[in-house]
Amino acid sequence: MIKIFIDEKAIEVEESTTILKAAEHAGIDIPHLCYHAAFPPEGTCRMCLVEIEGLPSLELACSTQVKDGMKVSTKSERVIEARKGVLEFLLAEHPPDCPICDKAGECSLQDYYEEYGLFENQFNEFKEKREKKVKIGKNLIHDMERCILCRRCVRFLKEVTKTQELGVFERGIHSEINILDGVLVDNNYSGNLAEICPVGAMTDSDFRFKTRTWFLKKGESICPLCSRGCSIFIEYHEGFSRFTLPKRVYRIRSRENHKVNGFWICDIGRYGYSYIDENRIDKIIVNNKEGGETITWEKAVVFLAEKIKRLYHMKKTSRIALILNTWLSNEELFLINKIFRNDLSVENIYFTDPPEGEEDDLLLTSERSPNKRGAREIGFDLMPIDLETLADKTDLLLIFGSFMFDQFNLAEIKSALDHIETKILFTSHSNGMNSLADIVLPMSLIAEKEGSLTNVDGIVQNFSPALAAQGECQPEWKVLVNLAKELKINFKFYSQFSSSEAIFHEMKKEISFFEKKSE
Amino acid sequence: MSPEFSDRTKKRIDKIVARYPRKEAAILPVLHLTQQEFGHISDEEEKLVAELLGIKPIEVREVVTFYTMLNQRPVGKYHIQICSNLSCSLLGAESLIDYLKGKLGIELGETTEDKKFTLSTVECLGACEQAPCMMINFDYYGHLDKKKIDEILDNLK
Amino acid sequence: MEEKLLTQHFGIENLFKVDVYLKHSGYQAVKKALKEMKPSEIMDEVKAANLRGRGGAGFPAGVKWGFVPQDIDKPKYLCVNADEGEPGTFKDRYIMSHNPHLLLEGIIIASFAVGIQKGFVYIRGEYETIALRFEQAISEANKEGFLGKNILGTGFDLDVFVHRGAGSYICGEETALLESLEGKRGNPRLKPPFPASVGLFGCPTVINNVETLSNVPQIILNGAKWFCQKGLPKDGGTRIFGVSGMVKNPGIYELPMGTSLKDIIFKHAGGMKDGKKLKAVIPGGMSAPILTADEINIKMDFDSLMDAKSMLGSAAIIVIDEDTSILDVLKVITKFYSHESCGQCTPCRVGNSWINKIVKRIAGGKGNKEDIDNIIRLASNMMGKTLCPLGDAAAMPILSITQKFRKEIESYIGN
Repeated sequence: MIKIFIDEKAIEVEESTTILKAAEHAGIDIPHLCYHAAFPPEGTCRMCLVEIEGLPSLELACSTQVKDGMKVSTKSERVIEARKGVLEFLLAEHPPDCPICDKAGECSLQDYYEEYGLFENQFNEFKEKREKKVKIGKNLIHDMERCILCRRCVRFLKEVTKTQELGVFERGIHSEINILDGVLVDNNYSGNLAEICPVGAMTDSDFRFKTRTWFLKKGESICPLCSRGCSIFIEYHEGFSRFTLPKRVYRIRSRENHKVNGFWICDIGRYGYSYIDENRIDKIIVNNKEGGETITWEKAVVFLAEKIKRLYHMKKTSRIALILNTWLSNEELFLINKIFRNDLSVENIYFTDPPEGEEDDLLLTSERSPNKRGAREIGFDLMPIDLETLADKTDLLLIFGSFMFDQFNLAEIKSALDHIETKILFTSHSNGMNSLADIVLPMSLIAEKEGSLTNVDGIVQNFSPALAAQGECQPEWKVLVNLAKELKINFKFYSQFSSSEAIFHEMKKEISFFEKKSE
Repeated sequence: MSPEFSDRTKKRIDKIVARYPRKEAAILPVLHLTQQEFGHISDEEEKLVAELLGIKPIEVREVVTFYTMLNQRPVGKYHIQICSNLSCSLLGAESLIDYLKGKLGIELGETTEDKKFTLSTVECLGACEQAPCMMINFDYYGHLDKKKIDEILDNLK
Repeated sequence: MEEKLLTQHFGIENLFKVDVYLKHSGYQAVKKALKEMKPSEIMDEVKAANLRGRGGAGFPAGVKWGFVPQDIDKPKYLCVNADEGEPGTFKDRYIMSHNPHLLLEGIIIASFAVGIQKGFVYIRGEYETIALRFEQAISEANKEGFLGKNILGTGFDLDVFVHRGAGSYICGEETALLESLEGKRGNPRLKPPFPASVGLFGCPTVINNVETLSNVPQIILNGAKWFCQKGLPKDGGTRIFGVSGMVKNPGIYELPMGTSLKDIIFKHAGGMKDGKKLKAVIPGGMSAPILTADEINIKMDFDSLMDAKSMLGSAAIIVIDEDTSILDVLKVITKFYSHESCGQCTPCRVGNSWINKIVKRIAGGKGNKEDIDNIIRLASNMMGKTLCPLGDAAAMPILSITQKFRKEIESYIGN
């Protein structure tokens, strides 16, 4: 470790670090455009020039290595003038698109101009005319007038996806970034390009003109669409007082996590968020012969508990079956294991998940649910559904989620379920299965609850609500705790679980795999 | 019909590529040969070169559009490249450029209808002691004036 | 009569053929270097000779060679910079077409000194006929045993190849040259690392100009002290000055380092053409800050010109007469840099084009009174802020012209 001074603040840094990184660690932000932590320094935007005592010219913070005793100034007059100079050059050929540009509000050029610019425009010439709406990918629109040629997009496609769909053509002021003869950017990580573009040159057509960035709030969550468990931001609109919006979630962004997904997320996770808002149910639905009626959660839990207790006292818990999925959190699976396998000796526990898909060599796994590993570590062996056995041997069926639909058609499911006396469906969405269950309980999603998931590599990740739960939706773990308490088989044990954290605490005591995992 | 190099050119290319530890380093010599053989470098030739050097066509396009001597479009039999840089300008290059435009009846970057002449301006050719000068294909002509230009063009068949 | 070290044999017919060259003490330097000297001795001699780079930057060649790490397990490369793109410069063309074997000797000796086994001569694409002639010279040298395996029985191997560029001034910048040689766009690289440690294909590389290397054989034959005497103590040898523009006798003039600029123009190059009066001189290639007619009493060496806030650069002297509008000169200059900018970094890419647009507008009669100050501000924002020296190469002439000829430019801006 060596000591350097940035703006007269002494900081200890690793010898092999750059000024920019050292400043970042010390909480000092040095403006930069072409630099991105995922790639080696490029040094072409010239925005990060800083003053180093003893050196005659300004140096780049992104690529200059620190030396013991180095004194750096990031706010001297020379440095501010240099930043203004770069901004002036960039803005000279930049179109005044802010009023119609999606990037407004999170645009580096805007931010830096506000902080270091605020000068009058002195460019009295004709700007270079370029194409403004080039479709270069399934969700990507490229505006060549806004492009500042930082080449982050080109570098991403060369070094991360290794697909190289974009190149830099021509030279000088005529340089442009484009695809080759209509060969679109066609890989599972294309959405990252719109995220890494520091300005509005690369925009996402999924987000185009939908809303303004300053209306969006950010919640941290984990993507549940495969077993990688990438860290994400769910960005949502809280709505206006005078009218409601058709949806809450406007986009998913990647969240840096160097243990799991690094800087990126895949397009499946990025664009597959409609399930959060579409076709949700937020009320308990009761399908009795007199038509739909609703009941309170208390009544529902009591009803279910009674059914279970009856079979328990008749020593007929073998007639209870569960259909689970691996979208359930570690805590929820643990509770189910404890309540149904331990306390009730239930054996017929099946699993159904979205069908597997192809994995890629970056992030996407073939398992398209987030917690298969967690389920295995807790002790489930993920038995697939046997509809015949289910129909013959079950009097009480608890179904979690409606992934059965991916495996069987409605007629098959209906004919099996018709043989079962009582069916309780725990689901977040409304679909054809809902009318088959006696009671449909509205569940919140991973995005709306707390818990932990175990990814394909065995990394346990906590998550908390990014969004508020809707209507009467409850997380599975809360309902299970209440059910367990109602069963009164092990009341004291379950009473301690007032949070998912408490459940995890217990898991660590009982299962060695989780014992080794720290938060 | 995808273009193919002649056997002779292929042999030359193999020899050239062998000089470098990485195949793609040979791209400029190969593109010069490609232009010699096919007249210009269209996207068909780009694919051919890409395959030969084990790189992607987009990388070839990136190189072709960077260097001024690599033509993506066909040029006339004689590509007149007249210098418009300082020493030549001091000695009247601008009026000679206008003269050539008028004489050939084309603008800069254009080709005569009979496809005989293409006219371009270029930057310093490195023959300033002979200013004003021009390069036709790869032949240098210096100490130009209107009369000399007439003579030179007349002698080009 | 000044002694000529490089051009003395230029008049000999067919000097470019090896049999003729050998008749004029050709390859004696190579024989002496490889058979009688150690690589470190050669390096010391070249260092002591104060041979400064003749491409433009003026960096001492021997010192550059010394930067190459010797104990490294990677091949080393020599790149000869024959891109000669600096407007006004044509000296290397003369050397390569009249006396290619002289350059080859320099290449061989330099490679031996540094431990290099492969050299590439990066020659600008327009010099096709010269490239062919040089390839012929290489082939002859191979046949005579001066190149190839076990040269002169010393165990030293060296292969030299010609690599033609394709029209790009920036590829004369050493790191852009490397990028171009590696098969990419000519985008200059960030330094550090320097080519001496990470150069061509990631290996230690020396990049030297044609004229620089062509001086090495003489240094080997006659010694460093002799070389310094031919020029100046800190600036050894002669310089091939290239004179063009409005002079009676444009051409190359090999003269001692430190010769007076006034003498070069009026004594050697015959003075002004057509009875014109001198207005300004660009002393070292287009990138060198301009000198007014009053400023030509100056010694042409690296340090004297630096003191006068200009530079010796490629020693290309462009003579401008009073009947030429300085605005037209500025137009040509800004068009050039704008066209040649690689486009990587913001200040050069936008600055050059912007300044060119302003100058064109002034030339079109639509100038504004803020224009000159804007040009100065923009050029100053390029100076020292770009990734490679092209930004400075553009800013320096623009700033010197607007500063020294401000009144004239103002006269083009209407009221």
